[in-house]
Amino acid sequence: MGSHQEEAIVRKRQARRPPEAYLPLPPATFHILLALADGELHGYAIMKGVEARSEGSVRLGPGTLYGSLKRLLEAGLVEEGGERADPERGDERRRYYRLTQLGLSVVRAEARRLDAMVRAARRKKLIGERPA
Amino acid sequence: MSAERIYRLLLRAYPPGFRAEYGREMVLLFRDQCRDGDVRTLGFWVRVVCDVARSAPALRVEAWRGRGSENTQTVEVIMKIAGMVTVLLAAFGIVGAVGEWVVASRGAMDGSYVLAVVLGVFASVLLLGAGVAILLGARWGRQPARLALVASLVSAVAARLLFPWMSIFSQLVGFGLPVALLIALYWPNKPATVRPA
Repeated sequence: MGSHQEEAIVRKRQARRPPEAYLPLPPATFHILLALADGELHGYAIMKGVEARSEGSVRLGPGTLYGSLKRLLEAGLVEEGGERADPERGDERRRYYRLTQLGLSVVRAEARRLDAMVRAARRKKLIGERPA
Repeated sequence: MSAERIYRLLLRAYPPGFRAEYGREMVLLFRDQCRDGDVRTLGFWVRVVCDVARSAPALRVEAWRGRGSENTQTVEVIMKIAGMVTVLLAAFGIVGAVGEWVVASRGAMDGSYVLAVVLGVFASVLLLGAGVAILLGARWGRQPARLALVASLVSAVAARLLFPWMSIFSQLVGFGLPVALLIALYWPNKPATVRPA
């Protein structure tokens, strides 16, 4: 069987899995998917986006970032969007990544799950009311 | 030695397949980090080493598990061949025992010899059944094959005790083959699972 056929079978199986089957996501994975929700990004832009969104509390090194991206690509949550140079960062061609439809459903499902947990914590007065 | 050169050395901790796929991107990202951060601080290098120490072993284990699933296919092929050999040897054992019975029946036969030959035939039939079960596949053939092999081994041992002049070849097939196949069938052989990210 050719690798393209195998990939098609894997994708078909993944498409049948509901987004909830991927939950809970590891924090680094959720941050990467959240960063990619803005659109196509290359590795360094993902890393900076995660750092800025988490106010410096989550710092992804190259190994953690590309290890997670590899797993996300294999799971069909992320796909490659081609290679091109980033004008802000020199002439080197960089690989861009973007969310798939499944990846978008999964990040939405995880956000809903986390939101429900936060609401439960708020009802128990463990955290304050939502700031205005 | 430049920072990039040190990082390229650290990249050797990752599996070769991962390095080939993402090595260039990782070096590019590291170059960006060097441009934006202070490479001369201890904190920078502690973060770099911690990242490699955290991610490289996990990726090595994943690569090893990936190879494990390829090995599973090879083991299945070997088991099919073993099943065929078992069927052939068991059929040969049945024919041999029947031939021995025919030759011995011309003279006087004592009870223990008759029982030993019957047990030998029984052991060969069970071995044949085990071979067929192995050939039928891993899903529902494994457990019947194990039971048939244990029963065949017990019968062969009983036949040997009743008839001490059993040939070396018969003993090798009667004891060695079921033991080898039982070890192979009980060997942990779990296929690698794809971990969701």
